[in-house]
Amino acid sequence: MSVVLRTDGLTKRFGRLLAVDRLDIEVHEGEVFGFLGPNGAGKTTTLRLLCALVAPSAGGAEVAGHRLGRDDARIRASVGILTEHPGLYERLSAADNLRFFASLYGLDPRTAEAQVDRFLRLMGLYDQRDDAVATFSRGMKQKMAIARAALHEPRILFLDEPTTGLDPDAARTVRELIVSLAKEGRTVFLCTHNLDEADRLCDRIAFFRRSLIRIDTPDRLRAELYGRTVELRVLPSPRPEHLACVQAVPGVREAWLENGSILVRTDDPLRTDPALVRTLVAAGAEIAFVSERRASLEDVYLRIVHDEAREVGT
Amino acid sequence: MTVVAGRATRGTIVEAVCAREWHEALGNKLLVGMTLFPPLVILAAGILAVYVAALYPPSAKDVQALYASAPAAAGLDPTEAVQGFIATYFLVLFMLIPTVVPLTIAIYSVIGEKAARTLEPLLATPVGVGELLLAKSIASTVPAVLVTWAAYAIYLAAVMAIGSPAAAHAVTAPRWILAVLIMVPLLTALSVNLGILISTRVNDIRVAQQIGGLVVVPVVALGIAQVTGRVVLDNSSFAETGVVLIAIDALVFVAARAAFQRENILSRWR
Repeated sequence: MSVVLRTDGLTKRFGRLLAVDRLDIEVHEGEVFGFLGPNGAGKTTTLRLLCALVAPSAGGAEVAGHRLGRDDARIRASVGILTEHPGLYERLSAADNLRFFASLYGLDPRTAEAQVDRFLRLMGLYDQRDDAVATFSRGMKQKMAIARAALHEPRILFLDEPTTGLDPDAARTVRELIVSLAKEGRTVFLCTHNLDEADRLCDRIAFFRRSLIRIDTPDRLRAELYGRTVELRVLPSPRPEHLACVQAVPGVREAWLENGSILVRTDDPLRTDPALVRTLVAAGAEIAFVSERRASLEDVYLRIVHDEAREVGT
Repeated sequence: MTVVAGRATRGTIVEAVCAREWHEALGNKLLVGMTLFPPLVILAAGILAVYVAALYPPSAKDVQALYASAPAAAGLDPTEAVQGFIATYFLVLFMLIPTVVPLTIAIYSVIGEKAARTLEPLLATPVGVGELLLAKSIASTVPAVLVTWAAYAIYLAAVMAIGSPAAAHAVTAPRWILAVLIMVPLLTALSVNLGILISTRVNDIRVAQQIGGLVVVPVVALGIAQVTGRVVLDNSSFAETGVVLIAIDALVFVAARAAFQRENILSRWR
């Protein structure tokens, strides 16, 4: 996959406040890239930098093939952004809101009409296309704002908290849109505090607080921080000698008893699990099931962010 | 994968911004009221004053004062002269319309967007901020100019219908027609850009209007100076005022352009 976004020591200061510090990332075409961090970490500023809305204080970036600071109008034509607030014209209808932005993005009238219809249908708002946005619920406005961001088929879509305020049904619509956009080869740069959503959608995740803390796939981050935990349910319940056998199996980093199961931390379950099963069966244990327990992305997030906070003493 | 975005022409941007702003403005009853109220008041007062002057002949003292402040009226029939003087005086007051009306529209145009947080999505489009500012200026200028010209046309017709030949002659004087055609757009542009400039610094529409209201002071001062005979509005004074206005317009536009920067708007405007 080709690189569609590359930053090179991207830095932003507002007076004495350092908002973004030497950010180096590469994001690929068709990737759903999660950008996670606590409130005030500088995520929105990073998004604004990458959408050529504010100028960097140092460093640079190449976005959708255009150099930041040199081809800013082209960058803005190639990206779409969902801002923190929907920011819609309340007295205009849903369709007129989108038509207005279609004009500013330079869509010819026929394409504009087709795109407006397409995105209103995708977002389930087609039947309300002639209604004033003022009459919409918060979730409907959020969907409108997403439609506006994607209207001109940008190569990169920056989404800041896209499912905030949406009911489960609408949130699923948005997630499906993100997946379908990625399948088309578009890149989605996703800022969210919904870690379950990030886990489900993102190919890679960057943890960020003023500067980049970690970047990897959710599974590799989980494996690195927590190893992989296997649960062996033993009937009627595991005995201490079962635990001792398990602890002696090569590849087992740690094992303990918990609620009628033996839990085993290992780096490579595919290699370790058969040996565990053989050992337990040989020890007379009756195994009901073997399954893998995954640490949640929330565990990973909290550990990474808290470790970083401890290191920098904040 | 298709990217359908292109480069919108300046004409398309202006057309889109004007259509949107006018649509929103027409839905705002307060704004419509504040736009139409000043011209209606000045128009009604002007027509009424000319009408009343025809009904009640002036006293000898008033006539002497009038001849002293407006020597050109000497020799005319006193009633006609007073009507002509009043008709001309209200033409100066018509110059208040392009200072008051567009100011309100421009202030709503920027502070309204600030309040609704619609500026960031707007600035995220490929449109340049200069183009956006120009489009917003035009969207505020055009209705104000049209309203003033319409009010002037009604006033002209009314004075010609009910006023004396001197009054009709005064309001149809070429320099006044030129003033309305040229000064009105210049004053409007000044007021609009001043409104935009003020709106970049404050968040409250009422505060912006109070500050922007200062723009009427020179026009009111001109009216008072004319009534007291201190200034005679002849062709050369119109030309001088026009040149000064063009210079001030340019300065205020540059200042508004400097304040209306993408990064300032997003990071400093609160």
